[in-house]
Amino acid sequence: MRADEVCKAEFAMPLHNPSYPLGPYRFVDREYLIITYRTDREALERVVPPPLELVDPIVKYEFIRMPNSTGFGAYTESGQVIPVRFNGETGGFVHAMFLDDDPPIAGGRELWGFPKKLATPSLRVERDTLVGTLDYGPVRVATGTMGYKHRAACERTVTESLAEPGFLLKIIPHVNGSARICELVRYHLRDVRLKGAWTGPGALSLEPHALAPVADLPVLEVLSCIHLVADLTLSLGEVIYDYHRPPLALERNPWTA
Amino acid sequence: MSADAVLKAAFAMPLHSPSYPVGPYRFVDREYVIVSYRTDREILEQLVPEPLELAEPIVKCEFIRMPDSTGFGAYQGLAQVISVRYAGELGGYTHAMYLDAHAPIAGGRELWGFPQKLARPALSVERDTMVGTLNCGPVKVAVGTMGYKHKAIATEAARTFLAEPGFVLKIIPDVDGSPRICELVRYRLRDVRVKGAWTGPGSLSLYPHALAPVADIPVREILSSVHLIADLTLELGEVVHDYMA
Repeated sequence: MRADEVCKAEFAMPLHNPSYPLGPYRFVDREYLIITYRTDREALERVVPPPLELVDPIVKYEFIRMPNSTGFGAYTESGQVIPVRFNGETGGFVHAMFLDDDPPIAGGRELWGFPKKLATPSLRVERDTLVGTLDYGPVRVATGTMGYKHRAACERTVTESLAEPGFLLKIIPHVNGSARICELVRYHLRDVRLKGAWTGPGALSLEPHALAPVADLPVLEVLSCIHLVADLTLSLGEVIYDYHRPPLALERNPWTA
Repeated sequence: MSADAVLKAAFAMPLHSPSYPVGPYRFVDREYVIVSYRTDREILEQLVPEPLELAEPIVKCEFIRMPDSTGFGAYQGLAQVISVRYAGELGGYTHAMYLDAHAPIAGGRELWGFPQKLARPALSVERDTMVGTLNCGPVKVAVGTMGYKHKAIATEAARTFLAEPGFVLKIIPDVDGSPRICELVRYRLRDVRVKGAWTGPGSLSLYPHALAPVADIPVREILSSVHLIADLTLELGEVVHDYMA
């Protein structure tokens, strides 16, 4: 294979059968259980990277079932999102994510910078309860429960919340172990079609694990619970801050001009 | 946490609990069954990226059990490695690799550029036979077998083989999907301590799979089978060619 063909053909590894295809990444019937809780402000201050600013000491713990995901298949995910502000705009900093499927882990990490690890999350209805769990090997690290479709939620509020940007810290090392890429990335969900949203009583418990430290952001109080189903497209991202070249990033970024 | 502190701490994602630690990556009792086979030269010519040159139309199908891997844990793998030459030196180009653990997949892809996917490789002794398998979900895609320790070979020969450089093609996209990193990377194993090496009768069957296309490089003739156990350290890599430069 000629060297110039390599550059043209390349998108992801392996060259001849990439771990994930090119988008757009459309999700059909994506189902969320989101439990919003209050935690320690100091714990959040340690993990939110500037120039993102912490808004309130709040974490959204999410269990997400994706039965029909273009290019990625059928899989489940669980993780923590921290509400933050960037240049006056509010959004969610994705702090940790655990999935059971390789293409969205590889693609999520390498394209956007989603902080994804392989584990065993699940989201299902158990009689009267919507149950989300996260296991890392044989160890249970998160259990979320919610009364099943107790009350319809305000669809406008849910739609507005899904329209907020997500923020990620993309880090890829160089072959010598130094940080080759260290960037703050923003992404949006597009073409969101909300199919239903509900609230109800909810509970969340987090257990310690060395490599899945979700319990490092402790649950002090459950604030709200939402269950929703939507079709949506995960857009590619944009670099809004380059830690290697902050001044250049500022020039490039119309937000901070 | 300041922006400077982010950069200083940055090694891998997630920042506060990276998927893989900083090395050195020492492997203890790493066990290989390597079935070498002849395949079609035209197929390999399409797969081997310049400036690597195809040496012989030979592929090594390696089933690897890694019970004690510093920073990565206990896991298993399968690799298809193509015999190549770079700057006059013989080496192995890792064309495809399948592992059953996340830390070495994330680290392997992001640090070196190993073309690793998640699947279910396995290597075990079944009575008189070393059996290597690769399953993707419910589908069997590779089966290698070898007579168990039929004939010892000189550890020096095994050490020579493990001393050859490895090559991988590191590709990482930018956030907009365009190419960001596209490099040919060379790496070596060091502090290799061969604990045993054997040869014997071997076989290899490869089956088609859309996302694990090991059978796209067909087995025409089995050339050799080697079973070896070694302690070794996987070094970080060096870029020998930048396709975007």
